[in-house]
Amino acid sequence: MAKHADLSIDFLGFKCENPFFLSSSPVSSSYDMCSRFLEAGGGGVFYKTLTTTIPEECSPRFDAQRKEATPFISFKNMEQTSDKPYQDNLDMMKKLKEDYPNKLIIGSIMGMDEDDWEQMAKDVTATGVDMIELNFSCPQMTYEGMGSDVGANLDLIDTYVKAARRGSNLPLIAKMTPNIEKMEPPAEAAIKAGAQAISTVNTIKAITGLDFDKYTSLPVVNGKSSISGLSGKAAKPIALRFITNLAQDMNLQGIPLSGIGGIETWEDAAEFLMVGASNVQFTTSIMQYGYRIVEDMISGLSIYLAEKGFDKLEDFVGIALKNIIPADDLERDFKVLPQIDYDKCVGCARCYVSCMDGAHQAIEWDNEKRKPTIMEDTCVGCQLCLQVCPVYDCITPGKVLFKEADQFGKGSLSEWKEDASNKRDIAVGTYEWIR
Amino acid sequence: MSSSISVGVKEGIVLKPEQGYMEETVPPYTPFMAMEEASRCLLCYNPLCSEGCPAGTNPGDFIRAIRFKNFKGAAEIIRSNNILGGVCARVCPYEKTCEEACARSGIDHPIHIGRLQRFVTDLEKTTNFQALDPPPATKEKIAMIGSGPASLSAAATLAMKGYKVTIFEEKEKAGGVLSYGIVPSRLPQYVVDEEIEHVTDLGVEIKVNVKVGRDVTLDALKEQGFKAFFIGAGMQVSAVFDVPGSDLDGVTTALDYLASARSGNGKADIGRHVVVIGGGDVALDCATTARLLDAEKVTVLYRRTREEAPANRLELTHCESLGINFLYTFSPQEFVGEKGKLIAVKAVGTRDNSLLQIEADKVIFAIGQKPEDITKVAAGIGLDKRGFVVTGDKGKTSIPGIFVAGDVASGSTKTVVHSVQGGKIAAESIDEYLTKGGKQ
Ligand SMILES: Cc1cc2nc3c(=O)[nH]c(=O)nc-3n(C[C@H](O)[C@H](O)[C@H](O)COP(=O)(O)OP(=O)(O)OC[C@H]3O[C@@H](n4cnc5c(N)ncnc54)[C@H](O)[C@@H]3O)c2cc1C
Ligand SMILES: Cc1cc2nc3c(=O)[nH]c(=O)nc-3n(C[C@H](O)[C@H](O)[C@H](O)COP(=O)(O)O)c2cc1C
Ligand code: SF4
Ligand code: SF4
Ligand code: SF4
Repeated sequence: MAKHADLSIDFLGFKCENPFFLSSSPVSSSYDMCSRFLEAGGGGVFYKTLTTTIPEECSPRFDAQRKEATPFISFKNMEQTSDKPYQDNLDMMKKLKEDYPNKLIIGSIMGMDEDDWEQMAKDVTATGVDMIELNFSCPQMTYEGMGSDVGANLDLIDTYVKAARRGSNLPLIAKMTPNIEKMEPPAEAAIKAGAQAISTVNTIKAITGLDFDKYTSLPVVNGKSSISGLSGKAAKPIALRFITNLAQDMNLQGIPLSGIGGIETWEDAAEFLMVGASNVQFTTSIMQYGYRIVEDMISGLSIYLAEKGFDKLEDFVGIALKNIIPADDLERDFKVLPQIDYDKCVGCARCYVSCMDGAHQAIEWDNEKRKPTIMEDTCVGCQLCLQVCPVYDCITPGKVLFKEADQFGKGSLSEWKEDASNKRDIAVGTYEWIR
Repeated sequence: MSSSISVGVKEGIVLKPEQGYMEETVPPYTPFMAMEEASRCLLCYNPLCSEGCPAGTNPGDFIRAIRFKNFKGAAEIIRSNNILGGVCARVCPYEKTCEEACARSGIDHPIHIGRLQRFVTDLEKTTNFQALDPPPATKEKIAMIGSGPASLSAAATLAMKGYKVTIFEEKEKAGGVLSYGIVPSRLPQYVVDEEIEHVTDLGVEIKVNVKVGRDVTLDALKEQGFKAFFIGAGMQVSAVFDVPGSDLDGVTTALDYLASARSGNGKADIGRHVVVIGGGDVALDCATTARLLDAEKVTVLYRRTREEAPANRLELTHCESLGINFLYTFSPQEFVGEKGKLIAVKAVGTRDNSLLQIEADKVIFAIGQKPEDITKVAAGIGLDKRGFVVTGDKGKTSIPGIFVAGDVASGSTKTVVHSVQGGKIAAESIDEYLTKGGKQ
């Protein structure tokens, strides 16, 4: 075996074997399901959210968004909380903790009112699980004052966290909704009221597609449908920005974050860790591919970290935060010209089309030779061409040109000069793929 | 480099006109292509492709690793199961192993498992990734006779268990058929050398130019402290049959022909009009060698029909696309000479009375191989009547402490991947034998 880094990491005083958890959802809705994930190597589970009464569900309840032939670009669900009797769930959680003492087992609850939150917290604590997640964020609850309504309401957050705190002495994790512009205020409110950590995102209110005969959104439930929660790969960029916001918030320093949203690969997970999550949770990828994908998360991340020389996973958490800065602080005195490797170019002209119609008309196209040429003066260095080129490693960032400073110290648009002594650190997503 | 070939097709890929003998025919995948192909994989539960691989290379798992961007994890899966993963990626008869079993065939055509495997094993080198981390060699000394796939696989398995392994090879280069047989356009020498490096990186020592039984005896090796032996001697003798004119200059055998082309990096006496006798993979390799090295006309004579030919279908179509002529249901009747040199081959129909005469200055017997006399290596060892080492359970021979696998073992399937599998199994057996203190 190659060298693998140790992936263990602390979460609220619990030493987790690795940072990979099931998020609360159908994938974690019974003893048997959770145990199969834990046997596959997972570090722990957030058990499916309990409510004291079983909600009524609709059928069908899912839709998956495709792009070309790729299924599950995103995924929409109209499901609510656990469909199993309350006491059965408590029994299964108890058995999970007994059988897997070294794995992190977390109960998830959603109350209807203060008393309900307090009683559920008490009941879940009695099962012996390690922590409780407070679900403030399900966007498709059919009861007023539940789900994501709570996560957008600072008073309700305060009331319900305090109620749960009265019912339990376990660490509390508030699961926040992304259906909001700024997540810092509700997160701060939850911490102030007595929660110890924040997890996010839950699903994003959305419509994935419409039916062309029945004239409603998908899935169609007897002629009608609803806006409901979106998850999966397309949710990742949104989730990453929320985690980054929380991690950079001065009032939340030292508060552990659990990252959720579109995680399929070890790279996805590593991205959440880099912006400050100390562990990650996932559902949609499991629904699509099964528990086995955690094997590649463990293998991929541990090989990567070993190669990068990280002794402990903690050192990796938040490593990108200092480099994610406000847009107005970015350096804007240079441009990077794309560079075409003509040995690889297949002459499709996709770069030309995109630059013509979506950028700055900076590529000259020789139709005879089927050859694109970048015009250095007109090119602004946006690298759209690099992103659309279908050939691996064909267009890469090339020469860096600097703006000539005018008498005010500002760059003038027309003069660009090379400066060999001045290095710029550039990367664009698609050309460096192997790690 | 050949200039006469304008077209050739393999795996649906139209070859470059300049495709030559030394250059790998099928181009490598880029990461985008690999991901595209891995995305076609259905990610089956208990996948049949994995069951289909004799060596347990586990394509189901490594394709999934590719799909989930765990490229190095994929390399680890391959290398820890099959030390010659990069060789197998190029020469396996997939159509009879993993790809035959692939469930994607139910939709269109199987996943190109071999090309994905090649992508991953190539990446080990470009990223300098060490997939295996052997323990220190503290256990007994074990000797391997021959350095072909069987020995290399057994040696790697034993080194990973902490044994001190030495391979003895009579030739100048290690690798067996990999270095002296298979055409470089399918398996370039640099790949063979790199794969062997994976084995020596585990601490295995290779001593070339030593023929066991001639330059050193088993008894002498025992005195040097070797506690167990593995025979991976392969089949070193080409079969021929009696045809009048066999002593003419220009009549040769597959092993000699291929070895001289390979060792000369393509510079050898190839012949202008070449006739190959046989219908298996070895015959195709001879024909491809001749064609890619600019023989003007290459004809394959096979005594049965195309359907009955044991050759790999993909290679067969590839040969046809290269313009090689195939004459089925013909057998050589006489080699015609002039001043001691071959000038033509006369052949007769095997299913009717057709007669034909082909101008030729080279004729190659590619009708099978057999082992050398293995009793010269291990006196008294049990052989079957064709000279193969009688092989019992898990690579055991009639002599305790001597184990066998690969082509030289009786009843083995004569391919690289089966030899890798045999080597792994025999290695387990050797470990068991030595762990029990040398009792079988
Ligand atoms: C031309 C050709 C093409 C082939 N193509 C394919 C293919 O595409 N795919 C596939 O799967 N299989 C192919 N095969 C079959 C495959 O190569 C063999 O099954 C495989 O190499 C057998 O491995 P081995 O280790 O048993 O023996 P070998 O590869 O034959 O190696 C045996 C080695 O032992 C050495 N040796 C023998 N006796 C002694 C001794 N006394 N002392 C020291 N060294 C000794 C020999 O010099 C040789 O190097 C091909 C075979 C040939 C000949
Ligand atoms: C079908 C389905 C049911 C879910 N049920 C719950 C739930 O009961 N409680 C909860 O906190 N989140 C629930 N979620 C949200 C997920 O836990 C997770 O936050 C979200 O799906 C984003 O992660 P993903 O992209 O990995 O799926 C559900 C998600 C899906 C797809
Ligand atoms: S998009 Fe890439 S391959 Fe196509 S013409 Fe441009 S550089 Fe060449
Ligand atoms: S970087 Fe942008 S502007 Fe420049 S050639 Fe490419 S697409 Fe056009
Ligand atoms: S059998 Fe084919 S489709 Fe199924 S896992 Fe294996 S390679 Fe993929």
